[in-house]
Amino acid sequence: MSLPHDYAHTHVCGESEFVDDRPIMRNELFCDVFFSTRAHALIKRVDFTEALKMPGVVQIFTGHDFSHNLWGTIFKDQPILATDKVNYAGEGIAIVLAESFEEAQRAKEKIIIEYTDLAPVMSISQAKKSQSFIIPARKIERGKVDEAMKESPLTLEGKIIIQGHDHFYLESQASIAYPLEDGQIEIHSSSQHPTETQHVVAHALGLPDKDVVCVVKRMGGGFGGKESQAAPFAAMAALCAMKLKRPVRLCLTKDDDMIMTGKRNPFENEYKVGFSQDGKIQSLVVNLFSDAGAYADLSTSIMERAMLHTDNAYFIPNIRVTGQVCRTNHHSHTAFRGFGGPKGVATIEKIIEEISHSLKKDPIEVRKINLYSDVDNKNITHYGQVFKNNCLGRLIHDLEKKCDYKKRRLEIEVFNKTDKNFLRGISLTPVKFGISFTTRFLNQGNALVLIHNDGSVQISTGATEMGQGVNARISEMVTSELGLARSAARVMPTRTDKNANTSPTAASSGTDINGAAALLATRKIKKRLSELALKLMDIPKEKWASKTAGLGTEPEVELTDPYLNENDPNKGADWKSGKATYFDMVFEEGYVFHPKHRDKKIEFKYLVLEAYLNRVSLSDYSFYKIPGIEFNKMTGEGDAFLYYTQGTACTEVSLDRISGEVKVLRTDILMDLGRTVNEDLDIGQVTGAYIQGLGWVTTENLFYNDQGLLLSHAPSTYKIPNIQDTPRIFNVELLENDENYANVRGTKAVGEPPLLLAISAWTAVNDAIKQLPHYIAYYPEVRIPATSENVLRAMMPERFKEWE
Amino acid sequence: MRNKIVFYLNGTRKELGATQASMMLADYLRYDQSLTGTKIVCAEGDCGACSVLRYFPHIKGVDNDNYLPVNSCITLVSQLDGSSLVTVDALKNKDQLHEVQKAMVSCHGSQCGFCTPGFVIALTGLVEEKLSRHEKKITTCEAKNSMTGNLCRCTGYKPIIEAAESIDLSQCESIKKRFYSEQQEVDLLRVFSESVEINSGDFHFFAPKTLTDAIEFLKVYPDTRILGSGTDLGVVHNKRKTKLTKVMSLHLITKLYDVSEDQGVVTVGARVTHTEFRHFIKKRIPDFSKYLDIFASPQIKNLGTIVGNIANASPIGDTPPAFLALRAEVVILGHKGERIVPMDKFFLAYRKTTLIHGEIITHIRFNLPEKNSSIKFYKYSNRKDLDISAVNFAIHVDWDGNDKKKIKDITIAAGGVAATPLRFIKTEEALKKNFNIDEGVKELHGEFKPLSDLRASSAYRHVLLENYFRKFFSEVSV
Repeated sequence: MSLPHDYAHTHVCGESEFVDDRPIMRNELFCDVFFSTRAHALIKRVDFTEALKMPGVVQIFTGHDFSHNLWGTIFKDQPILATDKVNYAGEGIAIVLAESFEEAQRAKEKIIIEYTDLAPVMSISQAKKSQSFIIPARKIERGKVDEAMKESPLTLEGKIIIQGHDHFYLESQASIAYPLEDGQIEIHSSSQHPTETQHVVAHALGLPDKDVVCVVKRMGGGFGGKESQAAPFAAMAALCAMKLKRPVRLCLTKDDDMIMTGKRNPFENEYKVGFSQDGKIQSLVVNLFSDAGAYADLSTSIMERAMLHTDNAYFIPNIRVTGQVCRTNHHSHTAFRGFGGPKGVATIEKIIEEISHSLKKDPIEVRKINLYSDVDNKNITHYGQVFKNNCLGRLIHDLEKKCDYKKRRLEIEVFNKTDKNFLRGISLTPVKFGISFTTRFLNQGNALVLIHNDGSVQISTGATEMGQGVNARISEMVTSELGLARSAARVMPTRTDKNANTSPTAASSGTDINGAAALLATRKIKKRLSELALKLMDIPKEKWASKTAGLGTEPEVELTDPYLNENDPNKGADWKSGKATYFDMVFEEGYVFHPKHRDKKIEFKYLVLEAYLNRVSLSDYSFYKIPGIEFNKMTGEGDAFLYYTQGTACTEVSLDRISGEVKVLRTDILMDLGRTVNEDLDIGQVTGAYIQGLGWVTTENLFYNDQGLLLSHAPSTYKIPNIQDTPRIFNVELLENDENYANVRGTKAVGEPPLLLAISAWTAVNDAIKQLPHYIAYYPEVRIPATSENVLRAMMPERFKEWE
Repeated sequence: MRNKIVFYLNGTRKELGATQASMMLADYLRYDQSLTGTKIVCAEGDCGACSVLRYFPHIKGVDNDNYLPVNSCITLVSQLDGSSLVTVDALKNKDQLHEVQKAMVSCHGSQCGFCTPGFVIALTGLVEEKLSRHEKKITTCEAKNSMTGNLCRCTGYKPIIEAAESIDLSQCESIKKRFYSEQQEVDLLRVFSESVEINSGDFHFFAPKTLTDAIEFLKVYPDTRILGSGTDLGVVHNKRKTKLTKVMSLHLITKLYDVSEDQGVVTVGARVTHTEFRHFIKKRIPDFSKYLDIFASPQIKNLGTIVGNIANASPIGDTPPAFLALRAEVVILGHKGERIVPMDKFFLAYRKTTLIHGEIITHIRFNLPEKNSSIKFYKYSNRKDLDISAVNFAIHVDWDGNDKKKIKDITIAAGGVAATPLRFIKTEEALKKNFNIDEGVKELHGEFKPLSDLRASSAYRHVLLENYFRKFFSEVSV
C-alpha cells in the first residue's frame, strides 16, 4: 500500500487552498476579460463609455497599457491583448476592472465594438492552400524511402483527421496579483510554469525579473493547458494591480476559459505505406499537418514530438516524416498531455490497422512483426537514437495472455454475426513514449532543501503540483534518503524567489528533474551529517555541542570535506535502495548509525541539532541537468530522449447499432514504469490519463461557429468522460522492470504516456465497424473523436446520405 | 410575514436579508462565509464541484427524508429557505475525518483536489441514504449512480469507485444525527408557516403561503419570475444573460409537493422534484423511471421540478415528449381561475407556452397507460449520462386486440427535432389507419426538419428518430 497524495487529507475536507480560495482582501478588485467574437478582423472602434458607467466599474485597460504587449514561449508573436487587429475569436481585447466579479462581468457585456472583417483561415486545408504556416516544414528521414516504396509488394494511402481536445482542468485559469512596496509584484497563479509567468509579467510591465515573484501552491488540474497559457492572464492581473496599487483577482469562468485558451492541436495527417505480404512495413511516408491556431505558442515543439513519435513501437527501415505547422484563425493551441505524441502514434496505429485489414490479419500480428527489437539491429529509431531497455515485446506478450485477447476476439466475431443491437470490437495497442524535453535547455532543474533545527525538512523545487503527486514523490525520495517518514518533510509552494530559471512542470519530467535535484541537494547535507555523526561517535555525549556549545568549552567538530559536487543521482547510490552512503553511515527510521556500531546510533533530530551547533550547514541547493540529450532540430537527428516509458492496453468496445453510442466494456493495461517511487500514485496517473485520452477519442467534440468561436464551452456541451464511462472491467498492472539505469532511482515518468493507450479504444471502435459487410474492401473513415454520430455514420453511410 | 431567509448552515442558524438572499449559494458560502471547500467550476450544475448536502424537513417523501446533494452554484440562497445545509468544510469531526473522506484518502480518490469536495459530498449523500435503510455495503452500481453528477478530470474515476466500495457503513456517523436536531425541526417548521417578502429595491423576493397570495402578487408585479428550483434560471443568471431581481418562489405552499394517483389518474404538483417523481413512477411506468435515470444529475434531480422542466419549454427538455406521449394535461391557475391545457397545446413556439403573465402551473395530470398498451421512452445524448438530449423520443400505443396488429390510439412525440417538443400527428393518423411501419417512417420524416447544431447534425437526427421508431415496434411486437 503506497502513501496517499501528500495533501489528500486536506483535499477531502476542502481545506486545500487554490488561487480563488485565498481570502479576499478589503481593497481587492476583480477583473474580467473582454474578447473578440470574430476570427480575423481589424478593430474599427471600441467604445467603453457605457461599460464604464456600470455599477462598480473601476477602470478598463487595453493592450496599450502594457510596457510590452507581446509574449510567447518560443516566438514572441502573441499580443497579451489585441490592439488593432484580432486573429481569433476569443482573443482578449480589454480588461474590465470592478469592485466585484459580477460587476466586471456585467460591464463587459456593455462594451461596444465594431470590426472590419478580414478573410480568415479556418482550417488546415485552407492554410495549406494559402501557405499560411508558422515556420517552414521540418523533416526526419531515414533510408531510401522512395526506392523502398517502389519495391514494396503492397502499398496503401490514407488520411487521419484528429480534432482538438480541451484540457478541462476543473480550476480555470486563475491569478491574483498583489502590489508590494517599491513597485514589486507578487503573483499567485495557477501555472505549470512559474518562471515563465514571472518573466512574462515582468516583461509586460517593464519590470526587472527581480521585482516579480510568482507563487504556485497548486493547480486544480493543468494537463499542459497552464504551461504557457497561464502567463498572459497573470500579466493582465498584474497590470491592474500595478496601475491601481490594489490586489487584483482574475479567475476566468469555465466558459470564457474554454473560449479563450488553446487546446490540443488538431492534426490532419496523410500517409503512404509500402509493406510485404506478411505485414512488415518497408517504407513509410507521413506528412503531418497541425493547426497551431493564430500564434506559435508551443505548436512547433508539439509538431516535433509528433514527428518523433510517428514510429511509435515499430522499427520502420525507410521512413520520411514531415511536419508542417499551419497558422489559422483559431485560438492558439498549446501543450496537452502527450504533446505531439498522441497524434503521431494515432497515425501509425491507424496505418497498422489498415494494413491488417487489407491482409485479413489480426492487427496484433502485424504489430508484433514490426516491433522494435534488439535482434538484427532493429532498435534504432528514425532519428538515430538507440532504443534501450525495450520492454515492448514482453508487454504485448504478457498483456495478450492476461486479457485473453485471442479467445475474446473469436467470441466477438461470433457475437457480431448474430447480435442485432450491438457491434463489438477489440484492439491492443502499445506505446513507446520518449522522456525528456526535446528542447535541450529545458532539461534542467534546481532544488533547495532546508533541514530545520528540530529535524523536519522543507523542500523547494521548480516543480508545480497539479494533482499528479510530484511533491509526494519528491518528498518520498528525500525522506527515504534521510531515513525519515514522509511526514517529516513538506514540499513548499513553488516560488520564483526560491527556485529561479526553472522549467515548466511538463513533458512528464516533473519528478525526474526536480526529484533528482532535490535528491542531490539532500545528499550534500547527508554527506556532512554522515561525517559529523561518524565523528560524534568518538566524542563522549556530555561533550557534544548540545551540552557545551553555549559555554564554548569544547572545540567545534570540523568536517574534512563538506562539499559534494555531483550531477548523477544514481552515482554512489545503492541500486536496490536508491540511497547513497557516506562515511559508511546509515540513515534509517529516524536514526543515523554506523553498521558496526549500531549501539551508538544517533537520533536524526539530535544529529541535526549538533550540526547546527557545530556550524554545519543544514541547507543546500542543487542543480541537475539531464545528460546526453543531443537532438539537432534542423537535421532531425540525435538522442532526443533520456529513456522511453512503455506500455500497452487492450480495449473492448460495444457500439449501439441504433445510435452509434460507444461503450467501453473492458480495458486491460500493462505499463512499464521502471521502479516506481509510489505505485498507487503512478497507477492513478495511468487510469486518469487513459480516461482523459478516452474522452479525446470518443465524446469530446469541440464545436465552433463559422468564426471559430467555440460553442461547446462548458460541461453542458463539451462532454468529458463521466464516472459511468469508466470501463466496467478496468485492470491496470505494472511490469517489473528494474533496469532503467538512466533515470533517478530507476524510475520512469508516467504523466503523459498512458494517455496514448486510449488510442486502443479508437482502434477498437474501428475494429468493430470494419466487421460490417460493407467494409470488406475498405477501412472505415472515422475521425478522432469517434463520436456516436461519426460512428453511426460509418455504420450506416447510406442512411445518412438520404439526409445530407 | 418574514423579511429574512432562514436556514441552518453546518448546524448554525442563519437569518439573511436581501444582500445574501440574492446571491447564489456557492458564492455566499465561498465569499461571504469563507467556506471555500465548496468549489465553483461550471456554474451551470454540470460538474458537481459545488455540491452541498441539503435536508428539507417539510416534504418527507420516500426519497427526501435525508440530506441530499444539490448544486450550490445555481441555487439562490433564498431558495434554501427552511432547509438545513451541510458543506464539506464541516464533515470532519474535530480532527477525525468522515469515513467517506478516509476512504477517498486511502484509495487515492483525490488527485488535484478541485473536484474532490463535490465527490465527498455526493458520496456522503449516498451513505446517508444507505444508513437510513440500515444497509451495510455500497455496491459499484450505487457508487457510480450517486456520483454521476460529478466530473473528475484526474483520476479516471476508478480510485473513486474503489473508495466508495471500501466504505464500512457500520463505522459511519450519520450527518443527520450530527447536524439535525429536534429543536432545528421545530424552528424550521415554524419558519415554514410564515410567508416571506424581501425587497431591497435591487432584489425583490416573495414566497407566499397560498396560491391566492401568489396570484395576487403576480397581478401587482407582472414581471416577476417564478422560480421552481432555478436549475435553469440559475444558469442563465450565472452566465449573465439575465439578472434575477424579481422572483417568486412557491416553496412554502405545501400542497404543491403532492404527487398522487387516484383511480389511474396521476397528479404531479408544481414542487415535485424529479427524484420524488422517479420514485413514484418506478412501479407504475418502469420505463419512465429508467428514462429519468439518465436525466441530468442526482443533484439536479434532487432540486429540479417536473413542472419546471415543462414550463421551461425547452425543445430539448427530457420530460415534455414523455408527457406528450402520456397525453398529459397542464393545470394552470390565474386570477380568472383555473384552466386546463392538453400538453400538445401547451407549447406554442421556441420557449413559448400558452402561459400568460399572472398565471401559474399548479400541477400536471395524466392517466396511467391502459393495460393493452405499450409506452417507451428513448433518449440520445452525446454522453449517455449527465447530458442534454440531442434527440429524445416517446411512443405510446393503445392496441386494438392482443395480437398487436392494429392500433387503437397512438401518440408519438420527440424533442430536439423542432423549436418545440413535437407531436407527430400525421404519422399517428397514418398508423391508426394502416399499421405499416415503413409507411410510418415516411410520414415521420415528413413531419420534422431538424437543425444541425453542436449536439447533432440534421441527418443524424433523422436517422436516430427512424432507428428509435423502428426499435420501438420491434421491442413491443409479440
